[in-house]
Amino acid sequence: MIAVQWQAAWEAVIHHPLFGVAITLAAFQLAFAAYEKTRWVFLQPVLVSMVVVVSILLACGLSYDEYRDSAQMLTVLLGPATVALAVPLYLNLRRIRELFGPIMLTLLLAGTGATALGMTLAWAFGADQMILMTLAPKSVTSPIAMLVAEQIGGVVALAAVFVMITGIIGAIIGPELLRRFGVQHPAARGMALGLTAHAVGTAQALQEGDECGAFAALAMSLMGVMTAVLLPLAVLLLS
Amino acid sequence: MLLRGLTWLVLFQLLGTALNVLVLPILPGPIIGLLLLFVALMMRGEAGESLQLAARSLLRYLPLLLVPPAVGVMAYTEAILNDFWAIVGVLVVSLVVSLVFTGWLMQALIRRQQRKAERA
Repeated sequence: MIAVQWQAAWEAVIHHPLFGVAITLAAFQLAFAAYEKTRWVFLQPVLVSMVVVVSILLACGLSYDEYRDSAQMLTVLLGPATVALAVPLYLNLRRIRELFGPIMLTLLLAGTGATALGMTLAWAFGADQMILMTLAPKSVTSPIAMLVAEQIGGVVALAAVFVMITGIIGAIIGPELLRRFGVQHPAARGMALGLTAHAVGTAQALQEGDECGAFAALAMSLMGVMTAVLLPLAVLLLS
Repeated sequence: MLLRGLTWLVLFQLLGTALNVLVLPILPGPIIGLLLLFVALMMRGEAGESLQLAARSLLRYLPLLLVPPAVGVMAYTEAILNDFWAIVGVLVVSLVVSLVFTGWLMQALIRRQQRKAERA
């Protein structure tokens, strides 16, 4: 009899609407503590938390859909958090005004370059049209990437996945890579992280400092706006 | 005080959502909200203490908020594993090249601007 009740309690816990929030909070704190202690780049908190959460879900036999519903409480805050990026942006307005020319030029050249390079490589690897259109918006924050992918004929859900993978790799190797190539200026480091690795890169840049974070937020939003407006146009003109 | 700042952030997000449906389907609500708040702060000329507090608190936990969307990778394991090397190759190579290029270009342009300013 007792075994049956254990089973019922277990089921009630893992299907509770707060279960997703609980494992995400626990996994994140674990991942963050591990990262703080070791400072080892591969222990990037988002990546480690993701692995821990996925393992727990698989072990409990829960589907992603169920997890997504129960983690809603956290996901819904992503909107206000994105809006909040306007604050560091504003606080660094003076620096941004000073560097207006370099910012715009970098955005145009590096932004189009990043998108074109990704598509050319995918084409060279023999990816089909659908994957090509899914890969095109990989450098921008996922809500924009998903919208753009849909407009130009890619797979919406897969676009979000490519965005996430790009962001995590960028946050892991980005800072070290920039250091190796002698990029020390905080504004330049922020631009690079925000433009190529969107929100995950911006979260990483915020840890490096205020100025770096502000430029990452700026690059992320400008790149997002530029991609949303220009990429569908470019695809329309080229096809 | 934190609540007042948080209220503003949520209001701007909702305003962005409304505009997204009404006139700008191409940009997501939060991004429109970000741009609107930025413009509002520029017009007002200062960022209030409560808004700064709310923004700082939320942004500190930005990585945490990104975990649930990242777990979405789980739903596509099979599709990703099928083309694993092509996908990783494309993503890694293009990321590395564009990241370094962006940082390098930005830094070079900043230095050029500084040199010009010194000569002038």
